Amino acid sequence: MHERLSFHIKRDSVLHRLNPLTKLVLTLALIFLAFTFPWYWMPHLLILIAVIPLSLLGKVFREFWLTALKLILPAAGFLFLMQAFFQPIGTDVIFKFYFLDITSESLMFAFKNAMRVFVMVSAFTLFLLTTHPSELMSDLTRRGLPGQFAYVIISTLQIIPQMQAKAQTIISAQRSRGLDTESTFFKRAGSVLPLVGPLVFGSLVEVEERAIAIEARGFTSKHAKTSLHEIPDSDFDKILRWILFALIVFSIGLNLWLS
Amino acid sequence: MLHVSLFKRNIMNINIKDLRFAYPTGLEALKGINLAIDSGEQVAIVGQNGAGKTTLVRHFNGLLKPASGSVSIGDWDTTKYSVAKLASRVGYVFQNPDEQLFSRDVLTEVSFGPRNLGYEKTKVDELVKRALALTELSEKTGTNPYDLSPTWRKMVALASIIAMDTPIVIFDEPTTGQDAMNVARIANVIAVLKREGKTVITITHDIDFCAENFERVIALADGRVLLDGPAREVLGEEETLAQTYVEPPQLTRLGKKLGLKEIVTTQEEFIKAVVQD
Ligand SMILES: Nc1ncnc2c1ncn2[C@@H]1O[C@H](COP(=O)(O)OP(=O)(O)OP(=O)(O)O)[C@@H](O)[C@H]1O
Ligand SMILES: [Mg+2]
Repeated sequence: MHERLSFHIKRDSVLHRLNPLTKLVLTLALIFLAFTFPWYWMPHLLILIAVIPLSLLGKVFREFWLTALKLILPAAGFLFLMQAFFQPIGTDVIFKFYFLDITSESLMFAFKNAMRVFVMVSAFTLFLLTTHPSELMSDLTRRGLPGQFAYVIISTLQIIPQMQAKAQTIISAQRSRGLDTESTFFKRAGSVLPLVGPLVFGSLVEVEERAIAIEARGFTSKHAKTSLHEIPDSDFDKILRWILFALIVFSIGLNLWLS
Repeated sequence: MLHVSLFKRNIMNINIKDLRFAYPTGLEALKGINLAIDSGEQVAIVGQNGAGKTTLVRHFNGLLKPASGSVSIGDWDTTKYSVAKLASRVGYVFQNPDEQLFSRDVLTEVSFGPRNLGYEKTKVDELVKRALALTELSEKTGTNPYDLSPTWRKMVALASIIAMDTPIVIFDEPTTGQDAMNVARIANVIAVLKREGKTVITITHDIDFCAENFERVIALADGRVLLDGPAREVLGEEETLAQTYVEPPQLTRLGKKLGLKEIVTTQEEFIKAVVQD
């Protein structure tokens, strides 16, 4: 079985060993601080003192920055340009482009928002890189999240890679029986049709089988379940969560108080 | 007519030279395979789980392409032809029928292959009818393959390939999990294909089935050819076969224990040897 069902990279690091809930709170704390803390340089500071060190601490520095360069930076860059051009604030025009004015205020504003988004997406990426989804879900269900909820989330996360694998299998079977799927564009487009039926039908059959399988393991049982897989939750985790929670509250409070 | 069919037979040889293959995971599944299989041969491939049997035969119909070395089917190098093209020469019955079947009913499933190969309508109907009769599925044409038992699903998988009427037919573990009745049906299918002059290559863990139905046996171990030769010779090599966790057939072992001079693999041979002693 291939581990392609999530971003997760299996490594042994301090960040990997943290309780999943702690990491979730950490992610939320980073996002709330970036968006609500009433100080211009907060998102930038967070990148320096949190995002970079965390990527090192989680031993995912390389993978994280590869994703960042390919995905997050272009998105943040696009946001920056849009806001710099179309934000009608400020009077100090530093650049004119036909009817578009760029003021130093709009530039500052755009830069801050781009950085905020960068922090938000980075925080989530780091979280996904260092947390296995099923670990997160079993921890959350243990804490009282309804099992049906966890099931919906997990199966949504897995549906795309599963469908891809299934489609690949069907295509192999059909090509082995002479269905031309690779020569011309028309043949390629035409060969999508015979794929749709089996894919949908096969997936429905699978859903039924899975429903029977999980029911056989007492999925809807009302009793508390014992998990074979122990997820560590140390005192350090608990303290860290409270500190992060306090930081979130403080940041929101400060924001409201100043406005 | 005679020399036409001879010509056709000659060009459908399978030639494998220094074939190496590694999966994206980095695992080298084939480590330099050299084989030649003539038209009309009945070949069994044996070897432990993970020896590379499936990986090898998936190269014959082009589902996998060599990392180095070459595989040719007749005058076609598999790297130069699409899987769809190669399907006119090589029919491959998947190890797992669930990975092979996708149609709503047995009839559609079995006619999918011959229709793609561009035979005329009457020819398609005839091939499908014959394949269904051979696999004893004629009564079940309207059934959804998913509603059949695994043993019958396997027969549908067989029929859907036989109906393509390819000169080379590959079965990947056809008898695994089948009851005695179905094993006999499958043996019958192989015998009919043999009579029609087709090349039949079968992967199997069922060594008695192998002894009874095949003239040539190839033993794979860890991505290499361990043994290759007439069934009687290969199945007698008890020590070498043990390297790939294959035991000689029951009768061969019994014959050895009894101290028979010759190596026997089938009932007739056994009885003959015992009478002679
Ligand atoms: N899709 C794949 N990706 C990565 N490795 C694979 C894949 N398919 C097979 N392998 C590996 O390649 C090796 C050879 O596999 P193969 O399926 O050819 O063995 P086999 O001889 O057919 O075994 P079996 O008797 O179990 O069917 C095994 O170690 C297997 O784990
Ligand atoms: Mg196999």
